Amino acid sequence: MAAIEATQVSKRYGTLTALDRVDLTVAEGEIFGFLGPNGAGKSTMINIFLDFARPSEGQVEVFGLDSQAETVAARERMGVLPEGYDVYDRLTGRQHMRFAMESKDAEGDPMAILERVGIDEAADRQAGGYSKGMAQRLVLAMALVGEPDLLILDEPTTGLDPNGARAMREIIREENDRGATVFFSSHILEQVEAVCDRVGILNDGELVAIDTIEGLRASVGGGTKLVITTAGFEEGYLADLRGIEGVESAWIADAETGRVEVTCSNDAKLDVLVALDDRGVDVTNFRTEEPSLEDLFVEYTGGGD
Amino acid sequence: MAWRTIAKKDVREVTDSRTVTWGLAFLVFVFFVGGYVLPLNVDDPTTADLPTYMADAVGLLVPLFGLLLGYNAIVEERASGQMTLLLALPHSRLDVVVGKLVGRGAALVAALGGGILLAAALVVYPFGSLDPLALAGYLLATLLFGVAFLGIGIAISTLTASKQTATAGAFGVFFLFVVLWPQLPDILALVLEELGLADGGLPDWALFLHGLEPGMCYERVLEGFWADDPSGAAVGPDAPWYLGEWVALGLLGAWSSGPIAAGYLRFAGTDL
Repeated sequence: MAAIEATQVSKRYGTLTALDRVDLTVAEGEIFGFLGPNGAGKSTMINIFLDFARPSEGQVEVFGLDSQAETVAARERMGVLPEGYDVYDRLTGRQHMRFAMESKDAEGDPMAILERVGIDEAADRQAGGYSKGMAQRLVLAMALVGEPDLLILDEPTTGLDPNGARAMREIIREENDRGATVFFSSHILEQVEAVCDRVGILNDGELVAIDTIEGLRASVGGGTKLVITTAGFEEGYLADLRGIEGVESAWIADAETGRVEVTCSNDAKLDVLVALDDRGVDVTNFRTEEPSLEDLFVEYTGGGD
Repeated sequence: MAWRTIAKKDVREVTDSRTVTWGLAFLVFVFFVGGYVLPLNVDDPTTADLPTYMADAVGLLVPLFGLLLGYNAIVEERASGQMTLLLALPHSRLDVVVGKLVGRGAALVAALGGGILLAAALVVYPFGSLDPLALAGYLLATLLFGVAFLGIGIAISTLTASKQTATAGAFGVFFLFVVLWPQLPDILALVLEELGLADGGLPDWALFLHGLEPGMCYERVLEGFWADDPSGAAVGPDAPWYLGEWVALGLLGAWSSGPIAAGYLRFAGTDL
């Protein structure tokens, strides 16, 4: 059974379409990265998983439970770090944990989890005085209560320093090793690239790609990127480059230094350089790169246009 | 029983708030003063004198504190994002509304019940007498009255995601029911007389309409069930049945449950 099974999920606010017929399956036991620029609809999708928002069309099942009709049963199996939350100012960290444990009917030592996320020293302080990063760790700790089968983390590294972000990735891996499915959203590529088994890229409410990272890389042409430093390149030439057989995409990476990037098959590399020469463009330097996820991201989310 | 968890947390939060504790303490204090002063002004004081003696204070303060406790119960958490945290845990929206009603209801009932019992004790000791049945009735009716306004407050809180709108709504209800409503009979009588539909008094249907307001229901319940000889247009011997105390009690019950039920349905049907 899939951990998450979304079928043709659409969400419209008036004339604005936040999600457009998204199909998504997250298998049990995988770490799934939900990637997309801000405003792409990631949080809307997660809010539908949690029944915070109702889809205009389509439906979502979590471990076979309807996310709307059986929302409480579905959420009993989840640990959630939502977006746009606020902690209870007057309750201490420990009281937050007790509340989460009571809510989930879970046994255990709240301090052990607070230690794991690194805020055990602040356990008896009111959460109203926590920094953003501490609040984020506290809510992560609440999500971990009761060893949930599915962790839903919406932009989990927001407000964390690099150390905190690394600790977050470790926790994600540990939870996954324990057997939990992890679904997390991010607009930060490194986060996703570092831990995910599979990635879905959401852009403008549409799921534009869904695959393993290797699979995504393979889907981009021959898997090569040309980074060319030029003099005299004009924007109009991009269309010409894209017209070359074997070229997937071309964009200006840095207009000031005249850096142009082209993803293409191996065979097309020379054709690209020849085409530039034909147009009187000086190639001052060039190198080839394996495409990073960033390039994929840029390509899929239209940043290269 | 998830609502219990929410109710417990809510009681802890509410009693941690200085504004709320002071407000509820003030409510108890008002009953204390009433119970202390009553025997000085009434011959042969008995606890059955309490309702009439406290009527003005109760009619003003109970709606005020009921609404104040209720109007931000949901919307405050919703606007700040605490509701997001709460509903990320396995609670239903019904758990949330019931938990809030029970939690805040407990705080209100404790203050109101404590105040009434304190006042009753002061009336009884050393010179007065206890009328247990009337006291129990007074206690129950007043608690129901309080819960009605708490329910209206929470209902307002479920209808909107904006704290300002909720504040305006609570203020509007208070103004309508507590300030404007007592003036309504005079206005109605004047209008009806102008139209030639009545002369001087109000017809029964107009009395019924005016009697729908929770405060009016509360008064009629007290008057009808426990006054020695009920009088007046509504509960007097000649009054029609639908102006009587049983209907008033039913209406008060409806005020305690109807608005909050409607509020829940609205809250359950909207995106967070």
